[in-house]
Amino acid sequence: MSMRETVGPATEELVAEAKESQRDRFRRRAVWLGDHMRREWQIYLMLLPVLIWFVVFLYKPMYGLQIAFKDYSIFRGVAGSPWIGFEHFQTLFGNDQFLRAIKNTFIISSLSLLVGFPVPIILALMFNEIRNERYKRTAQTIVYLPHFISLVIIAGIVISVFSPSTGVINLALQKLGFEPIYFLTRPEWFRPIFIGTGIWQEAGFQSIVYLAAIAGVNPSLYESAVVDGASRWQMMWKITLPSILPTIIIMLIIRIGNLLEVGFELIILLYQPATYQTGDVINSFIYRQGLQGAQYDLAAAAGLFNAVVAFILVMAANTISRRVSKTSLW
Amino acid sequence: MSGVNLNRIVKNYGSLEVVHGIDLQVNPQEFVVLVGPSGCGKSTTLRMIAGLEEITSGTLSIGDRVVNRVAPKDRDVAMVFQNYALYPHLNVADNIAFGLRIRRVPKQEIAQSVEEVAKILGLTEYLDRKPSDLSGGQRQRVAMGRAIVRHPKVFLFDEPLSNLDAKLRTQMRSEIKRLHKRLGVTSIYVTHDQVEAMTLADRIVVMRDGRIEQIGAPMELFNNPVNTFVAGFIGSPPMNQFEAEIAAEDGGMVAITQNARIRLPAAKELLGHSGRRIIVGIRPEHTSVKPVEGATAIPVELDLVETLGSEALLHTTVGDTPFVVKTETGGRTDHLQSVETVYVMPRDIKIFDLESGRILQSQLTEMAA
Repeated sequence: MSMRETVGPATEELVAEAKESQRDRFRRRAVWLGDHMRREWQIYLMLLPVLIWFVVFLYKPMYGLQIAFKDYSIFRGVAGSPWIGFEHFQTLFGNDQFLRAIKNTFIISSLSLLVGFPVPIILALMFNEIRNERYKRTAQTIVYLPHFISLVIIAGIVISVFSPSTGVINLALQKLGFEPIYFLTRPEWFRPIFIGTGIWQEAGFQSIVYLAAIAGVNPSLYESAVVDGASRWQMMWKITLPSILPTIIIMLIIRIGNLLEVGFELIILLYQPATYQTGDVINSFIYRQGLQGAQYDLAAAAGLFNAVVAFILVMAANTISRRVSKTSLW
Repeated sequence: MSGVNLNRIVKNYGSLEVVHGIDLQVNPQEFVVLVGPSGCGKSTTLRMIAGLEEITSGTLSIGDRVVNRVAPKDRDVAMVFQNYALYPHLNVADNIAFGLRIRRVPKQEIAQSVEEVAKILGLTEYLDRKPSDLSGGQRQRVAMGRAIVRHPKVFLFDEPLSNLDAKLRTQMRSEIKRLHKRLGVTSIYVTHDQVEAMTLADRIVVMRDGRIEQIGAPMELFNNPVNTFVAGFIGSPPMNQFEAEIAAEDGGMVAITQNARIRLPAAKELLGHSGRRIIVGIRPEHTSVKPVEGATAIPVELDLVETLGSEALLHTTVGDTPFVVKTETGGRTDHLQSVETVYVMPRDIKIFDLESGRILQSQLTEMAA
């Protein structure tokens, strides 16, 4: 103990000093921020609408999240309803339908990630190889188009294409001598149709991000490779793809973060009780329980669970990516 | 080693002709520098040789082979780009090996070649690094390594040093020169920097607006520019040029400009042409602030003394025309502040035609001798 006196200041003094210097840093930063806001107030003014949007539509509703832990009744209000702890979560995890929805969510989103994620990348690489500008523009417009069509219409198209009596697919099957299949009532067909529709609608539009990344690749890399004797195929593999890898990783992180955000509007438009078995996901379950069944508290608990898992997924994906590839969202 | 032969090479972009029928013979092992201001067609010419641009008309041969329609990879040329064109995701060794991998050279051989090249360029300890972890000079060396490793018949350099700072540029310049001496590969080098051209080239090709103005050894271009453009482009600071009128005086010819009468080298053709207007060219290096036997005196008005150390540039005017004088300082500049007259030997004065800008000197003969 006597050593300490001779070596230097006591631990308490050091801690106090560190705290003081930390406070000092904060103070300086606050002054800096104040100065910056005064000087660049126009920029902060432009930021305001977004902040307001966040507060009104994302933060204020969070107040209502507490009903996940309450026995909520609309007559007593959010604050007036009594606390019941984790009872709703217990109910949920005892509910086969909810467990099935979790399973379906993971299966559908994993499959659409696995199958759907590479498609826009491949599309972008293919667009990049088209030399004829007019042909390229036309092709791009055609694949972007479904993105701008309302989901309800998309669902309508899907339903009529797969219709057992008048759908193109079934007509083709019949011509080939097969029996018509009522695809949308068959649980085993729900996931392929749902995932395929998603790819058809969004892959073209998502390819824009990759096309932009490809456009940013230094053209002299290709010229140098041409002089070195690389073929188009080799250039695609050895230059284009590695050059856009950081973009691919960022998109993957975002995608994993949204893994549980299965586009439930399309699910609701396409599924029916016959396909709940493979098609009912957490969000459609919440929709049915909360809005159709008026069990707001239970639905809030399911939604909270969904959000927590999604949060963990984003954090994990980002951390792994930062460690492995030095690319990350933050 | 192969030479490169350009015969009436023309390049059109749509209906716009940017290179107007260039003739150029690059000898085996020669280091030729294409130099000229931006937009003069020097890079386009180089890219046509590399095969990155199509040749509109004319014949391009490398060695004995016409290569107009030969793919870049089969021309056996290697190119070093201005921005290095290094693959950011590959380390130095893989960048150097890229061309060999593409050609499916055996692994063992690749490793050996890369090691050898790294040694030549002093890159051995950086082989594992990514380009982003290298300095500008090191990146440039990697880019050269990529070219060297393939043992091509011809090296093409497209302004390889213009992204480097002045000091590094000087250093890399001598490295390129040394490398060329060592490897003896035919090299064609494009730059807009006449200092680079002067220091590197066996022969310089000065280009302007898609045409070759003059081809020659560096000192030939310096001493005998064929026109005012080359005279102004080669040499730093550039040759002083001003308009003057010829007059006969004391059995010789003088150029009269505003307040100066400058004695010209004797010229038979000019004798009968008193009153003809010409352009007089005097290199800053050919002036003296001290009287010299046989020199003609030019009265000047001093604006500014720019001290470079052992030398100084005097920015003066002759009448209202700027006139730069380059002189030794001898370690002090105080005596330069009072300069009112500079001296030039008549034999060092160039005379150009006013309209065409072409030199008249070749038509001159020494009369006095």
